Amino acid sequence: MTSPPRRRSAGRWRDLPAAVLLLAPSFALLSVFVLYPLGRAVWLGRQRCDSQGNNCRTSGWDQYLDVVRSNEFREAVVVTFKFALITVPIGLALGIGLAALADKYVRGIGVFRAVFSSTIATSVAVASLMWYFLLQPSVGVLSNLDWLQDLFPVIKRPGLLRDEGTALPSVAASSIWASLGFTFILVTAGLQAIPRDLHEAAAIDGAGGARRFWSITLPLLGPTLLFVVVVLTTRAFQAYGEMDLLTDGGPRGSTTVVTYLTYGLQSPIRDDAGLQSTVAVLLFLMLLALTAVQLRAVGRRVFYA
Amino acid sequence: MPDATPARAPWERSTRVGQIGRYALLALIAFIVLFPIYTTVVAALKPGNRVLVNPLVPDSFTLDTFREAWSEARLGRYLGNSFIVATAVTIGQVVTSLLAAYAFAMLRFPGRNVLFVAFLATMLVPLEATLVINRQTVDALGWLNSYQGLVVPFLASALGVFLLRQALLALPKDLRDAALIDGVGHLGFIRHVAMPLLRPTLGALALFTFLGTWNAYLWPNLITDNEDWNTVQIGLRQLKAQTLDAPNLVMAGTIIAAIPIAVVLLIFQRQLIRGLTAGAVKG
Amino acid sequence: MSNRPTRRLFAASACLTLAACASGQSILQAGNDATTSTKPVAPSTTAGAPGPPTTICLVQPCATTTTTAGAGPTGLSAAPGVTMVMAGNPDFAACPVDALEAIDEPVRITFWHAMQSAQGDALTDLTNLYNASQDRVVVELQNQNGYEELIDKYFLASSDDRPHVVQMPEYMLQQIADANTVITTSACVQAGGYDISPFLPRAMFAYQTGGVQWGMPLNISTPVLYYNKAMFEEAGLDPERPPITLDELRDYSQQIVDSGAATYGIAVDSGVNSGGAWFLEQWFARAGLPYADNDNGRTARATQVLFDTPEAVEMLTFAQQLEADGLALYVGEDPRGIDGLLAMADQEQPAAMTIASSGALGGVLDFVEGGAIEGITPAEIGVGPMPGPSETPSATIGGAALYITRDLGDAEAAGAWDYLQYLVTAEAQSFWAAESGYAPVRADATEIEPLVSIYADDPRFRVPYDQVNFDADDFTAVGPVLGPMRQVRQATAQMMAAIYEGEDVQPSLTAAADQANLLIIDYDNRN
Repeated sequence: MTSPPRRRSAGRWRDLPAAVLLLAPSFALLSVFVLYPLGRAVWLGRQRCDSQGNNCRTSGWDQYLDVVRSNEFREAVVVTFKFALITVPIGLALGIGLAALADKYVRGIGVFRAVFSSTIATSVAVASLMWYFLLQPSVGVLSNLDWLQDLFPVIKRPGLLRDEGTALPSVAASSIWASLGFTFILVTAGLQAIPRDLHEAAAIDGAGGARRFWSITLPLLGPTLLFVVVVLTTRAFQAYGEMDLLTDGGPRGSTTVVTYLTYGLQSPIRDDAGLQSTVAVLLFLMLLALTAVQLRAVGRRVFYA
Repeated sequence: MPDATPARAPWERSTRVGQIGRYALLALIAFIVLFPIYTTVVAALKPGNRVLVNPLVPDSFTLDTFREAWSEARLGRYLGNSFIVATAVTIGQVVTSLLAAYAFAMLRFPGRNVLFVAFLATMLVPLEATLVINRQTVDALGWLNSYQGLVVPFLASALGVFLLRQALLALPKDLRDAALIDGVGHLGFIRHVAMPLLRPTLGALALFTFLGTWNAYLWPNLITDNEDWNTVQIGLRQLKAQTLDAPNLVMAGTIIAAIPIAVVLLIFQRQLIRGLTAGAVKG
Repeated sequence: MSNRPTRRLFAASACLTLAACASGQSILQAGNDATTSTKPVAPSTTAGAPGPPTTICLVQPCATTTTTAGAGPTGLSAAPGVTMVMAGNPDFAACPVDALEAIDEPVRITFWHAMQSAQGDALTDLTNLYNASQDRVVVELQNQNGYEELIDKYFLASSDDRPHVVQMPEYMLQQIADANTVITTSACVQAGGYDISPFLPRAMFAYQTGGVQWGMPLNISTPVLYYNKAMFEEAGLDPERPPITLDELRDYSQQIVDSGAATYGIAVDSGVNSGGAWFLEQWFARAGLPYADNDNGRTARATQVLFDTPEAVEMLTFAQQLEADGLALYVGEDPRGIDGLLAMADQEQPAAMTIASSGALGGVLDFVEGGAIEGITPAEIGVGPMPGPSETPSATIGGAALYITRDLGDAEAAGAWDYLQYLVTAEAQSFWAAESGYAPVRADATEIEPLVSIYADDPRFRVPYDQVNFDADDFTAVGPVLGPMRQVRQATAQMMAAIYEGEDVQPSLTAAADQANLLIIDYDNRN
């Protein structure tokens, strides 16, 4: 209030020219290719257009409300949440488990690490193709294993990707598999950042392996795990390729997530650019809200070293 | 910085049974993880008419499918396109992210936090929402069927900015202050101090970016209608149309598309883990 | 501000938003105000009996008696009992057929297509031949890898980025007509005095709506019945006599299952591009029933579907019973369209028959040739017409047609028309059908090499041709044209899936009809 403005502004504003120059490339690119399309989508989401995206008629912000309340959107949201609830916890648990398993000194651990990271090399298309080859009920790999079919007859009749109950978990399995490499690498990096003297001290104090894991490792992994959860959730909500390639949103809509509702070939709004934008913006808002909740709710509990 | 493979410490020595048990578990999980890849490789190595027989056992062997996938599907040319695009995007993202991360981590200016949050929010925008409008933008610039069109929209990355900012903040404070006092200037600091010290993180970012761009399908497909500009993922899509009469061809193409990535990954795997260590922990 | 109450509020509002404020409406109605109609106009005639079908003619108003017309330079009769008179429509783009005379250097045109593997090769060969045979037009092929990508890119492209010639699948007809981005084939035929009498009437009519011939058919595929001849023999059936009517289909299946030759008589799916659409569309066409109003959408835009009828209930109940009695295997939604065929290849519980696209025959034979599937040789694969509710084994056209984009230059348009004419000459069609497995669009192509030998040596390849080489007495014979055709097929596919899973037929049928009407009304509101 009484400090001389010049000095204070000199401190805060001194770096501004440099900052502008350094930020300009990223900012310009992200503005043009992410923020601008988002803005356009928000605007387009108020309109209904013809099949070519022309002759748009404005219906107003009510369109967003109408979509939120519509049957197809609500069902898609439910499916999306189900999908996320399967892929995120399991993916996280597997990542942590594998990273912990592979963190010890074992001869040849490098090979195992390479194997566990390998799924990061597969694109969604490639992973989906591999899984389709596995799951096809007539000639797929799993359908040729008789002992497996006796255990789980659904593999053959009607097939894991055909049965309404197993289609979404099967798609989720392929997604978890594809993200495994990414999760494994991140958690391993997090594990290795934990100072070894902490473990040593605890061991000297008599703490066993499991105790050390829960009391030391897991809390210190906190920030990493939070990052992984946020990324996995974002990926789960934005997943599209798997549904497109494995099930085409079926059977009977049981794998129609919100992204598939937006862009999928079999979606009723396939040729309506206006409605597609509405749904896309709603997805963004959902993701924004979810991320904010995750960061606030969980972030406070995370222990920062 | 911790080594990637720690030496055995006194409290970590386990019993022989424990060792064997661990190996067994690791091997089992590794087998499960590799299973889809394994069946794909087996299928790719079989001649066309033996694909459905014994999918688990490579009882026949031929490299003809690879040859066919390479030449008939023009995968060679498409691999070249993918490589150029992925390399350009990787370099671009690393450079722009490093500059921006430096600004966020080291500089003080009004609106810094708000701007950072805005950057992060761009990570949440679904890709498909931006596709059509970006296509219009690129079309207006005359960049359809061109390297610029394939590369420029992806030259910036909020994820990169995030990771590099973390890494910069993790540097010892005295180092930062000392360098600034020395008067090397911002760019000097970046070139001579940040880049060498951040090499692992930069390497990790480069790897993630290369992978992501290599695997991209939607965007390259949307802005190219001329086959000469196809990337390898589009080539793979062409092969997919032959799933019925030549599934082994599709598998072979899949492997060809994935091999460069797998190689790069194997080589840089240690770097990747070390790089992520630097930034992933500190808040 | 403490954390807990905020979080609770957040969670509560989220739950409430999702759970409580459902509107029960379809997403298609979003953004519509109260004045926008959402219900179809009640049909003025009783459902299932829309009045005498309109004879096909291409100049309005139409004569009610069929006579060979003499009007216009291209008046002709394509088949007994059908009048086909071409007339240009002054509202649409003109076709500058003479523009090639005035050029001094070759004109380059681009052609976007979605032909893969053998079909792509055949198209490339034909195009190379064309380019080499004259020096006025050079055609550049661009493979867009699939119909959907092609459609997306075509409509996203700004007008000067569009290709001169584009291949569009049959379900896009209404959208092409509404977008008005093409020069109609009518215009070119009229301007150039082109003789279209050799073409199959069903092929031409399939791409006609609103009195205008929009595109030139290029590739024709139909649903056909694939069956295992060895299994037929084992069951005591004649391997050269596949079932044609629905009753025969059931009897054959019963015999096959009873004899133990196969576990199932036939494998059926509910795919959008296969069983989910075919069973209703093809069977309605076979039975001469209209699928949509306004003559299947051909004389004017359809305003509603007409398939919610007792006849449909009968047909669908038949399908449901077949599956419920264990005579048919339901393989699911089959997104790739091959699961029915793979069920025939199943080693443990095979099906003896399935219905799939005629375009798959070449691939199937290649695949089986090296012994990929134990116990089946290529000679044992039989192909027959798709069974249906009538004695006449006819089918509606599937596949795609070629369209010339407008406003890209007169010389280019003329060049495009010249190229199109080449592609549909008898020689080109004979080669095309022989190499690709599609049916030719004209009858005389079947009388010259190489096709005549192919058909003689292996009659399986002529099944799709035989299925479409029938008269088209009225528009029910050529299937419906609707703007949201794909989404309507999705609705009928969902219906088929529900029916196969045992749900009641009438409610499922009505639900599909309601959804289809909603889609049509929404389309009409926007376009």
